[in-house]
Amino acid sequence: MKLTDMIRMCMSNLLKRKIRTALTVAGVVIGTCAIVTMISLGLGIQASMDSMMQGMGDLTVIQVYNYNATPDSTPLDDTMLESIRAIPEVVAVTPIMNESSSFVIKSGKYEYQGSVMGVDLTALSALGYGMEKGELPGAKVDKTTILVGQEAQYYFVNPKKKNQMWGMQYDANGNPLDPDVDVMNDKLELSIRITDPNNNKKVKPVKLNCIGVMTTDWSKNPSPYGIFMDINYMKELKKEYNKINGVKEDKSKKESYENVVIKVDDINHVAQVEDVIKEYGFSTSSMESIRKPLEEQSATIQMILGGLGAISLLVAALGIINTMTMSIYERTREIGVMKVLGCVIGNIRAMFLIEAAIIGLIGGVIGVILSYGASVLLNSMASNGGGSGGGLSGIFGFGGMGGQVSVIPAWLVLGALLFATVVGLASGLYPANRAVKISALSAIRQE
Amino acid sequence: MSLICVKDLRKVYRVDKERVVALNRINLNVDPGEICCILGTSGSGKSTLLNIMAGLEKPTKGSVTIDGTDVTKLNEKQLAVFRQRNIGFVFQSYNLMPTQTAIENVAMPLMFRGVGRTQRTRDAVEMLRAVKLEKRMMHRPTQMSGGQQQRVGIARAFVAKPKIVFADEPTGNLDTKTTKEVMEIMVGMARTYHETLILVTHDKDIAEYADRIVVIVDGNVVSDQANESIFKESVVPGMGSHMAEGGNGDEKSS
Ligand SMILES: Nc1ncnc2c1ncn2[C@@H]1O[C@H](COP(=O)(O)OP(=O)(O)O)[C@@H](O)[C@H]1O
Ligand SMILES: [Mg+2]
Repeated sequence: MKLTDMIRMCMSNLLKRKIRTALTVAGVVIGTCAIVTMISLGLGIQASMDSMMQGMGDLTVIQVYNYNATPDSTPLDDTMLESIRAIPEVVAVTPIMNESSSFVIKSGKYEYQGSVMGVDLTALSALGYGMEKGELPGAKVDKTTILVGQEAQYYFVNPKKKNQMWGMQYDANGNPLDPDVDVMNDKLELSIRITDPNNNKKVKPVKLNCIGVMTTDWSKNPSPYGIFMDINYMKELKKEYNKINGVKEDKSKKESYENVVIKVDDINHVAQVEDVIKEYGFSTSSMESIRKPLEEQSATIQMILGGLGAISLLVAALGIINTMTMSIYERTREIGVMKVLGCVIGNIRAMFLIEAAIIGLIGGVIGVILSYGASVLLNSMASNGGGSGGGLSGIFGFGGMGGQVSVIPAWLVLGALLFATVVGLASGLYPANRAVKISALSAIRQE
Repeated sequence: MSLICVKDLRKVYRVDKERVVALNRINLNVDPGEICCILGTSGSGKSTLLNIMAGLEKPTKGSVTIDGTDVTKLNEKQLAVFRQRNIGFVFQSYNLMPTQTAIENVAMPLMFRGVGRTQRTRDAVEMLRAVKLEKRMMHRPTQMSGGQQQRVGIARAFVAKPKIVFADEPTGNLDTKTTKEVMEIMVGMARTYHETLILVTHDKDIAEYADRIVVIVDGNVVSDQANESIFKESVVPGMGSHMAEGGNGDEKSS
């Protein structure tokens, strides 16, 4: 028997009992709607959460601290950095050193008042900073190379002038004014700060070369709000500062960075890399400690919502089983006749399974269409309600952030259709087996 | 060589603690093209014999060989395929599919065989013409009279050109006039296609349409004779001359 013939037979059986078929399909429609809507709400929560987390910081960055360093503990030095860099999941490592007070950066009469951080400039491109002007440094850099943060451009002020404003300045129309110093083109000079005003030592200023301006992005770590310079050069300058200002260095203290930033290739590897670093004896922090419980919480919510939907589809499955079993009792004689006329049992089983699967599929299609409508409605209600501070976004807490309380991706549509069909098919198993067991003789018997 | 060989067939039903011997010990051979009537009173075991011959039931003892195949040894799947190829059925209560049109009902055995829609529709139309239902092709069973439904049933039984057609009380639900119509069509069709027809009835008048009458009483064959009356023009109009050539005209009794 041909498959198309089997499908045609099923359709004619379904159409013969229109109301019963419609009611059975309605059960599947409700079940599918429940599942899809519930999961879409769960995904909406997840999406809002993700965008919230993204705003809070780079989720793949781990901060390493060396707070409780003792003389016997492993130092967080260049050797250690090599070991960390050797971890396969690690894509970038940079130590961070903040020595803003040890030197002065000037451009003509303007003096820089912001922070200066020593970093591994070659690691910056892997950390992925947005550039306003210029470019991130490549693999090789000159030691006088610097990068300036977008905000930092406005931290060049004239110390002679009173009431200087720091930070971005805007004109009457709200457009940002150009900073006083054009860091890309103007001459920038660094000189060691002399703390004692009676110290008459002369320091020769060094010319710095700014190769780019980084876009303000507070989610990045380290945040590009100040000036980045090569950390090794910064160490040199610090030594010089100590010499000029007569600061005694503690020779017994091992060289160790206080803060190192690591970027990991994937969000799912953050926890394991953190564990490795903790093994070495350092403290770490990352968004993982916030993300993990939030993610677990959102997974729980999704499971509860999906479970509620699944229950209604389960009820629908019982409906299909009931309808099909009833129709088999009614069609006992027909089934017997088909057997007498030479229909093999495989075809009889297939016909009942197809019939059940068709109920599932049709229910699934209508269910998905209705859920799509419901999703659009929910989202428009949420965005209207968001303005007045209440509404649905209020109920789901996160709605206002992502803008969508309900998200239906393509996989959910396909998954729902497949699931509804499979539920239909599974519901058809028992009735189909009953149909197969009906004796051919039932066609002959006279009631 | 016989087409059907029934050998020492016995069927005992167990009802609670009682044993009902439906068939005692039946031996029967049917030749190809023969129209054989199994005649007996109600409860004599006719239906049981026919069902076992068609492979719908298993005997307690004995064998039924059709065209060299012992159908009592086949499993359900093999039987379905065997019926597809070799056997047609006419039921007492017509048993047409209520959701299907006359054409679709007639085409059904071909559909089970995997014949394409165009081909089987063509064959079904031809069969419906042969049973004079060309005006009822698209009708559903509920829109037809009993006689018309049984003609659809006959068209369905013959459409796949089976070797044997079994008919269990085919006119049991019909009035006298319709019975005559239906019997003439069925017997005529069996003769046209040279098919073997096993006809089960309790009605002596219907037995008159057969070439041979096997009388069963309490599960035993008590008489197995050629039917001479078929040579009478009045019983089967237009068939007499055709059969006279092959018949064994011994005596013209009753
Ligand atoms: N399934 C069955 N279970 C028990 N007894 C049966 C069954 N089928 C038939 N019989 C018995 O077998 C005998 C023959 O029945 P059947 O072949 O139907 O007779 P007929 O068709 O000649 O009227 C009857 O006594 C009947 O009661
Ligand atoms: Mg009977």
